[in-house]
Amino acid sequence: MNAPPQRIVVLGLGNDILADDAVGLVAARFLRGHYGEEIEVVEAAETGLALLDFLEGRSHALLLDAILTGCHPAGTVLAFSREDFRASPDSSSHYAGIPEVLGLAECLGVSVPTELCILAMEVEDLYCLREGLSVSVDRALPDYVAHARRILDGWSRQSVRSSRVRRSQIV
Amino acid sequence: MDRGDHKEMQERIQAARNPAHAPGDAANVRRQTITIDPVTRLEGHGKIEIFLDERGEVERAYFQVPELRGFETFCIGRPAEDMPQITSRICGVCPTAHHMAATKALDDLYQVQPPPTALKIRDLVYNAFMLEDHALHVYFLGGPDFIVGPDAPKELRNVVGVIQKVGVDVGKRVIAMRRRLREMISYFGGKVIHPVFGLPGGVSKGLAPVDLPGIQQLARDAVDFARFTLQIFKDIVLKNDRYLKLITSDTYTHRTYYMGLVNGRNQPDFYAGKIRVVDPAGTEYASFPAQHYLAYISERVEPWSYGKFCYLKPLGWKGFVDGPESSIYAVAPLARLNVAESMATPEAQKAYEEYVATLGGKPVHYTLANHWARVIEMLQAAERMQELANDPGLTGTEIRTIPTATPKAGVGVVEAPRGTLIHHYETDERGLIRKANLIVATQGNSARMAMGVEKSAKGLIHQGKVDDGLLNMIEMAFRAYDPCHGCATHSLPGQMPLIVSIRDASGLVIQELRR
Repeated sequence: MNAPPQRIVVLGLGNDILADDAVGLVAARFLRGHYGEEIEVVEAAETGLALLDFLEGRSHALLLDAILTGCHPAGTVLAFSREDFRASPDSSSHYAGIPEVLGLAECLGVSVPTELCILAMEVEDLYCLREGLSVSVDRALPDYVAHARRILDGWSRQSVRSSRVRRSQIV
Repeated sequence: MDRGDHKEMQERIQAARNPAHAPGDAANVRRQTITIDPVTRLEGHGKIEIFLDERGEVERAYFQVPELRGFETFCIGRPAEDMPQITSRICGVCPTAHHMAATKALDDLYQVQPPPTALKIRDLVYNAFMLEDHALHVYFLGGPDFIVGPDAPKELRNVVGVIQKVGVDVGKRVIAMRRRLREMISYFGGKVIHPVFGLPGGVSKGLAPVDLPGIQQLARDAVDFARFTLQIFKDIVLKNDRYLKLITSDTYTHRTYYMGLVNGRNQPDFYAGKIRVVDPAGTEYASFPAQHYLAYISERVEPWSYGKFCYLKPLGWKGFVDGPESSIYAVAPLARLNVAESMATPEAQKAYEEYVATLGGKPVHYTLANHWARVIEMLQAAERMQELANDPGLTGTEIRTIPTATPKAGVGVVEAPRGTLIHHYETDERGLIRKANLIVATQGNSARMAMGVEKSAKGLIHQGKVDDGLLNMIEMAFRAYDPCHGCATHSLPGQMPLIVSIRDASGLVIQELRR
């Protein structure tokens, strides 16, 4: 029988040969190794429904992704919560978006994270096939990773507290 | 209007428009523009633009997409064996199709014939992929158009609306079947999204006899699932006269050529065979191996789109016209069923006969019939999986022929869910890529899609009156093809909300719709 999934998952999303689209994957690689078994770090090139497989059964999920709005300087980190998407369930640019996946999970009674955060970095180039990040994105990477660590550290502390509570209840 | 107002208006127009169009803007300032950006529920990013004239009638409509740049540059100098991995990365939507087309191009490049077991395993994996991908479209991408209904309120035209209509149990069944099919693809290929499966001359992993019963059970369940999907389609769509009228309406009809892979009996084959083309009357126009594709397929570039439009080269470019004078062809489910004389499996054949009879004979020119054709293809894919799962040759241990020839050039073709997909590589004698060309499936349909969007816009928008329902009907012309343009692997949610701006003849926004 498979072991149950860790409660906290980090999903680095993106394409490693599509310029800045790789930023979520690169950040995920930095985060792996910082954390023990409590947090699973996944580099996922998946899209749409396939993301459900990674989210099912988790309590917390941190998604790292590239975004190109043209409204912010490249390197800007934007954070979205689950509520941001719940408010506009059909505002995704196409089907393969988190709102639909979460909406579907809710409909079907699939357990998905109650705590979900998307940390997106505004990037320069999402359309040129190449390896390596743009300079502006590369420079912003340490702050991006630090931001992710603050969120994960917070979740880990919550997790430790709740497990203490559980233990004390058992005692 | 004073100069200040005029300047502000110009800035607003410019801000609302794609900068790529800037050189042509002066001529467009007096037009009204409706932009549907992006087309929702597509895999990849799309955008439809509709220009109205001063009377509020549609003058011109087109779609455009951001194209990936640098593919050939990226590939040059890399070992050809990397191409199945590289090309499966350029598209997160159909990685298995690119992986398989690339693998077949490598067979051809190294002039190597894979052993029968390897071919059966490839065929099995490929049919599982077709079934899984088609199921996604039938239920969740195209489903909102037909399962929920074309004129349902917009808040219901999404995946949640589909589940409400078909029920939670069906939703769970779809999710479970997709997951099992993907697990099977992963069994052979590692990750679905970055498979390490196809090798020149064979495959990397065989099927252990102990795992065969699981595959056979999956294939049986897959056939049940496809049957059940056909039944849902019949119950919800075909029993509704309004839907049938919509499918067969002139707005969604184009008489073009059709292209697809067929086996020796002119039946659809997703993995192997010759490319067959029929004309708008259904008569065979050409039948050729993939290696001859350059003699038949040419690409047209238009100033208003980044995309290329495929047409039949011997006929020459004749513009965006259909009928006997057309040189435009279509690919994907509708096209595959038009080039076929029958289906390759028994239950799919029955479903096909009903499809042809209901729609008034072949070729079927109704774009929206793509949805029905897709369900019939699901049945063939599942039945083919079952044939292969019961083939004693599937568990053979000879899965690779080691290439020995000096490479030069290779072409591979498969039927991707969205149509004929061709990979063409040229290498030096060490097998390093010198030239790489892809004809991707959606490109084969792009000219017909452009005509479809314009025709539906002209049919549905009059005197500048545009509501959300009409816009959805225009998008339906597009979505039926299940187009995939971006080849970007994912999108961040909420990145580009759908905004529709309607401008009067002076360029001012008179109405704005947001999703």
